[in-house]
Amino acid sequence: MNRVRNLQGPALVLSLLSLLWIIVILGLLALKPSALSVGTITTILQFSTILALVSLGQGMVILAGGAGIDLSVGGTVSLSAVLGMLVLKAGLSPFFLPFVCIGTGTALGAFNGVLVMKLRILPLIATLGTFFVYSGVALSLTGGSAQSGVPDWLLWWGRGVLAGIPVPFLTIAVPAFALAGIVLAWTSWGRWVYAMGFNERSARLVGVPVDRARLILYSLSGTLAGAAALFSLAWLGSGRPNIGQNLELESLTAAMLGGIAIFGGRGGVGGVFAAVMLLVTLKTGLLQLNVNTVWQVGIVGALLIFVLLADRFSQSWR
Amino acid sequence: MNAPFLIAKGITKRFGALTALSEVDLEIRSGEVLALLGDNGAGKSTFIKVLAGAHSPSDGELLIDGVPVAFSSPKDAASAGIATIFQELALSENLTISENVFLGRELKRSVLGVPFLRRKEMKERVAGLLKELEAHISDPQAPVGSLSGGQRQAVAICRALNLNAKLVIMDEPTAALAVAETRKVLSLTRRLAERGCAVVLISHNMADVFEVADRIIVFRRGRKVAEKMRSDTNPEEIVSYITGAHPDVRALEKTN
Repeated sequence: MNRVRNLQGPALVLSLLSLLWIIVILGLLALKPSALSVGTITTILQFSTILALVSLGQGMVILAGGAGIDLSVGGTVSLSAVLGMLVLKAGLSPFFLPFVCIGTGTALGAFNGVLVMKLRILPLIATLGTFFVYSGVALSLTGGSAQSGVPDWLLWWGRGVLAGIPVPFLTIAVPAFALAGIVLAWTSWGRWVYAMGFNERSARLVGVPVDRARLILYSLSGTLAGAAALFSLAWLGSGRPNIGQNLELESLTAAMLGGIAIFGGRGGVGGVFAAVMLLVTLKTGLLQLNVNTVWQVGIVGALLIFVLLADRFSQSWR
Repeated sequence: MNAPFLIAKGITKRFGALTALSEVDLEIRSGEVLALLGDNGAGKSTFIKVLAGAHSPSDGELLIDGVPVAFSSPKDAASAGIATIFQELALSENLTISENVFLGRELKRSVLGVPFLRRKEMKERVAGLLKELEAHISDPQAPVGSLSGGQRQAVAICRALNLNAKLVIMDEPTAALAVAETRKVLSLTRRLAERGCAVVLISHNMADVFEVADRIIVFRRGRKVAEKMRSDTNPEEIVSYITGAHPDVRALEKTN
């Protein structure tokens, strides 16, 4: 029994993902050997940074259960980026740009949390609604055009590369995952998240502050989306109202692929990290092979369905 | 006989026009297993919810060690030393035994305000409790999902003990258990009382009650209709109290 459980655990997810990753790399190598270079790895990690931050928030919201899901992440990233640039244009000192982006993200996430936990709207519906609101506002504020004028010092950070690894990846994505991993595994807060994710009633009965914890996790998902928005500004040099497009789909796929059970209570952030790497490598590979971007979204969607099916079969097998 | 741990005086609970409990007086003593019996809807669940702080009584008072108390939440009751083991057990199957025992009140070491778990100490403490209860569970790190129903009861009892509970309320602890498991849980119940805990047991199973209880109280239609020492009664008499066939109950119900 114990052995089976261990095989089901994070180790299994990680080894499966690594295997898939190697298959993707080998496939790319076979089809287009020139595609693999240090430059490609840097690009993959740069693309990964946004998805990694957003998927981390998504994963934690799902992990805490109660049908938790955050479909608004893409809208939150777009609106945080756009709002940051608009505030800059309105005359605010560029020094405050990081605070505006991350603060906006946190506020938007907290609003989701209030809708779900205080007003008791189903998370799927609440965040679908705010997804349209956030991305709609981002579009209408800008008329759809990119907002330029990111300060140089931010670009220096956003485009910096250290030994082939992008600086933002090292300075926000990796620490965010490390922190989340430590908190989930080693602190009582982490135990509470797993407990409430698996059996909300029992967590409430022993006095775990379920509502407060979920509210914090929705806000945290917003904070991470805000950080992703900040990185997008620093990397691309402009605030694009559609920067968050498809992030809800991709972050969900990464969370599921990374072994987080859709009903909560099972999984970890290590798997999510590996899943993000796999997804972005796959997408970059498709790009290198000149596969139409329209198809890329379709492939990610197909992968999501495949993962959910695999999750279901592994559960009935258990 | 020692002084009662808890005294309930004239406990009444009304839900709108419905009177779920009417003027219930009873005493709960340390080191004694008290069985509450009654048909569905007789008021025993409502009564333990009052004890556990989930309902506040409409009338009457609770005294603990002679001091009046008022619970506004299960947390209040828990801090007064009352632990309830619910029918659904309230365990998280994805966590280990020791994590479940300590869930919500983990031993921790605060680093910059972040509560890091003290796993080793929790594990040792739980191993000690399990051994003391003779629960025959060797590994406190085993996931609760892998345990049998009786073992889960043992984990729930461990949790109550870990809270230093002076009164443990067990709601139908043997309802879903196999025969051997039932025996195990009943002996755990006895051991709990021998440790000096007061135990309130709710059960529909007459054989269980007569095996483990010291005193038996029967509820019917929101009233306490009988209170007997086990040695002074027999299952037939108790059943007649529960169904209302006993002459005393008839007399009582005729006067109202």
